[in-house]
Amino acid sequence: MKFFAVNGKRPVRLSEETRKFAFDSLNHKYGLETWGTPAVLMDDYEGFEYLTPLQKYDAAIERIAKTAPIRICEGERLSGAATLGLAIGHQIPAMFNSELGIFGSVSHLTIDFETVIKKGINHIQKQAEESMKKYKGTEKEQFVLSCLHCLNCMKIWHERYLNELKNKSEYRKNFENLQNVPFEPAANFYEAVQSIWFTFAFVRLCGNWPGIGRIDWLLGEYLEKDLADGTLTLDEAREILAHFFIKGCEWVRGGDYGSGDAQHFQNIVLAGVDENGKEVTNVVTYLVLDILEELGISDFPTTVRINKNTDKKLLTRVAEVIRLGGGVVAVYNEDLIIDSLTDYGYELKEARKFANDGCWEIQIPGKTRFGYIPFDALQIFQQITLDNYSENACFLDFNSLYNVFIDGLRNKVTEIFSEVNKRNFVYTALPTKDWKWASDMPCTVVSLFEEGCIENGCSYFEGGPIYNILSPHIGGLPDVVNSLYAIKKLVFDEHKVSFAEMMRLLKNNWEGNETLRQYTLNKYSYFGNDNDEVDVIAKNIIKDFSDICDNIISRYKTPAGISTFGRQLEWSPYRFATPYGKKAHDILSGNFSPTPGTDKEGATAIIKSYCKADLKRTVSGAALDIKLLPAAVNGENGIEAISSLIKGFVTLGGHFMQLDIADTELLKKAQEHPEEYQNLSVRVSGWNARFVTLNREWQDMIIAQTGSGF
Amino acid sequence: MKVADIQRFCMHDGSGIRTTVFLKGCPLRCVWCHNPETQNNIKELLYYQNKCIGCGACAVCSQKAHEFSTFHTFNRNLCVGCGICAAECPVDALEIIGKDYTTQELFEIIEKDRAFYGQNGGVTVSGGEPFMQYKETFELLKLCKENGIHTTVDTCGYFNSDILEQAVSLTDLFLWDIKDTDSQRHKKYTGVSNEKIVSNLKFADSMGAKTRIRCILINGVNTNEQHYNNVFDLVSKLKNCEGVELIPYHAFGGGKSEALGKKNSGNNSWIPSERQIIEAKNYLLQRGIYVFNGC
Repeated sequence: MKFFAVNGKRPVRLSEETRKFAFDSLNHKYGLETWGTPAVLMDDYEGFEYLTPLQKYDAAIERIAKTAPIRICEGERLSGAATLGLAIGHQIPAMFNSELGIFGSVSHLTIDFETVIKKGINHIQKQAEESMKKYKGTEKEQFVLSCLHCLNCMKIWHERYLNELKNKSEYRKNFENLQNVPFEPAANFYEAVQSIWFTFAFVRLCGNWPGIGRIDWLLGEYLEKDLADGTLTLDEAREILAHFFIKGCEWVRGGDYGSGDAQHFQNIVLAGVDENGKEVTNVVTYLVLDILEELGISDFPTTVRINKNTDKKLLTRVAEVIRLGGGVVAVYNEDLIIDSLTDYGYELKEARKFANDGCWEIQIPGKTRFGYIPFDALQIFQQITLDNYSENACFLDFNSLYNVFIDGLRNKVTEIFSEVNKRNFVYTALPTKDWKWASDMPCTVVSLFEEGCIENGCSYFEGGPIYNILSPHIGGLPDVVNSLYAIKKLVFDEHKVSFAEMMRLLKNNWEGNETLRQYTLNKYSYFGNDNDEVDVIAKNIIKDFSDICDNIISRYKTPAGISTFGRQLEWSPYRFATPYGKKAHDILSGNFSPTPGTDKEGATAIIKSYCKADLKRTVSGAALDIKLLPAAVNGENGIEAISSLIKGFVTLGGHFMQLDIADTELLKKAQEHPEEYQNLSVRVSGWNARFVTLNREWQDMIIAQTGSGF
Repeated sequence: MKVADIQRFCMHDGSGIRTTVFLKGCPLRCVWCHNPETQNNIKELLYYQNKCIGCGACAVCSQKAHEFSTFHTFNRNLCVGCGICAAECPVDALEIIGKDYTTQELFEIIEKDRAFYGQNGGVTVSGGEPFMQYKETFELLKLCKENGIHTTVDTCGYFNSDILEQAVSLTDLFLWDIKDTDSQRHKKYTGVSNEKIVSNLKFADSMGAKTRIRCILINGVNTNEQHYNNVFDLVSKLKNCEGVELIPYHAFGGGKSEALGKKNSGNNSWIPSERQIIEAKNYLLQRGIYVFNGC
């Protein structure tokens, strides 16, 4: 059993059985099994087609709870499993007349596990009963009834597990541990982990993809008490927690699915301060890092909240896990994010609770409805500002070009939200004379775990949660910045080419002037090289875009964000040649990271360019991805180098950063496509050269050297 | 100051994250030199033929050093190192090495990464031999130290001992090259004998200079126990030495010497085997000398 590391070796701390369980899970054993039982069937449900959507939903949840396969894995320490395959596909796993999933499901949220472990689901039941008294006879009654129904379904499912475990002597401990939780408050660490897992598994079984959030903050006090009482050892605790992470891989089923076969937004957030400003880092924080380090599970996107006072010990541990490669652990600049949230209007105590939606978009867990709307700024620039590079596009100076682009951006965002407002709201003539969320998509199960829904008698999609967010996300930002900068230099400053000629060249995908294309590609220093002249353009766009977002008229909060995730691939067919020398349909920048091939000064310069903008304004988030060569971080100095990058990132005002260690495969790709890997510096002792400037023979040698890890 | 290159985010030139300034000019002529463009203290034009796209932009040359008939020919004898062609070359096939910087300009570049240096990171002055331009190097080191930036110097150790006292006072860490411990071989392969290098090292150590000894390993030249024993002897007598960095020879400098219009000096037979590297490492480790990893 080997757990792959890009760089270095993974330590062994867990028992052989637990490692075997992890190995099987990561090698698709349970994912394929889940895929084999896609959904419950509603065909024999009398009159199903005549039910209201909410009644259909309730019927489906009941059938899922009563008939979904029960799974007890060999040697598992935690019980409960999301065993229906359509859930992997983001649908409620119920079918009627062979139609795939009757309803879609919910993701991009972190649900409220705090109430689950501290007060128990019976507390939620009481809340729902209170609400029932309040809303009986009103239009909200149906939703509250659905809440009570779904809680009952969860009890049924729980009962099925208890019955199954009862007669298996080897699962005695599991049986005992599942008696009280999740319905009663957890009494110790083992129960608390089981409580979170069982709730998580049920919500997932019903098709949803919730995040976990701040697991060390949730579990720390339980473990510290058990360790102090001597009722649990640290090694036992690590085993239990490892099973949580391993069971979270039960949807991993291998094969080629575009963006991967895992990652169902099951985020983990570690460290940082609690609502009173006290650091929460505890023994669970380190156990999570131990587990990620040993098993290399990348399915729980884990982000560590770093602040100016973060302990050196934690920073070193984070760096050690990052160094193994695979990009498992990312970092938040907690200081900036808390300021960002309070500037935006959140109470300080509330801001300090932040987690995310499953990737990195900031939200207050357990009380936020979250969505985002991505769009491509480069297409706005090319198709609207520059009118598809037609003869009509003519600008006499940089400022008027910039201003027209910002106008285009504003129009786009306005257009998006006028559509959203039409679609998502209806104006009611009820006494409140208020807007009402229009939604016919039932989502009761997640609504149970979002503060506000039961109290307000409104579901997650009907404005129930405390905060309702729809965040516009700008994509292709560095590409617009570079395009503006190249036009500024080539046309307005250096007069290398007229505006009209520039448009003609771009329309023809640079045909006819390769020399100028090479010149613009190589001779200017674009975003990511710590060049103030270009970075200020990014800074200004972010300010203007944030202003636009703050002025959106909508019932949602509409904080700005910067992202592409993988959309630079989807957008490439619609993108033309760029003024900075890229050809039509090239794959350009991801998130708020430099365009591939344009960053030549190394990681510190990338971080500096990125941090020059006021990222407090991008309240939803602005992600930076950096890849480092193993050779750059090996040896005694490597851990310090990674820690120093993180510290610099926090000092300079970054938001979210994913450092990754690239493997030799990347170098091989660089051999095939040198134009995209301009920035790959090879630095061995005092010798330095850019990888792509070496000839084949030398490149092969470097690759061999990188592989040997000396 | 004549500068060959400035590299930010260097991880192998001392502790922490560093900005390394490669200066021009070196008193040694090591046949295995991996940065041959730093040897001469003059501006030089590097021409990477493999990158040339034959666009003719470099024909701006007033000396007519670039000619285009069927392909691009560069007549190095006519070149005065003005760099106009390199500024025009759209693919950076032409590169001018040896730009002049004031110490203040260099300091401003070094300052850019201050947020990443912390206590241990900082500037490394390398080369070439930094003390070939000792006045300016001292000025730069002083400026950095005054502003709280950790200073490291990568030196070949071959310079007038008169400057040592000041060098030691301005340098937090020396990366001190001991290329060979056999004086005759040293002279044969580097052009100078090693006595001055060793005596400077001992003198620096006596003044409290913190050092790491950098030993290049060249198969068939210095991969023998006698040399390892001499290194051990030398290092064990130093009071302020942190340990040894073993640097296996690689042939990557050869490409740069070609770009300088010289013969490719790379020699694959000099590359030490994995076993030789481990032998050298173990020899020193077993005798209590710390050997750094990851070079």
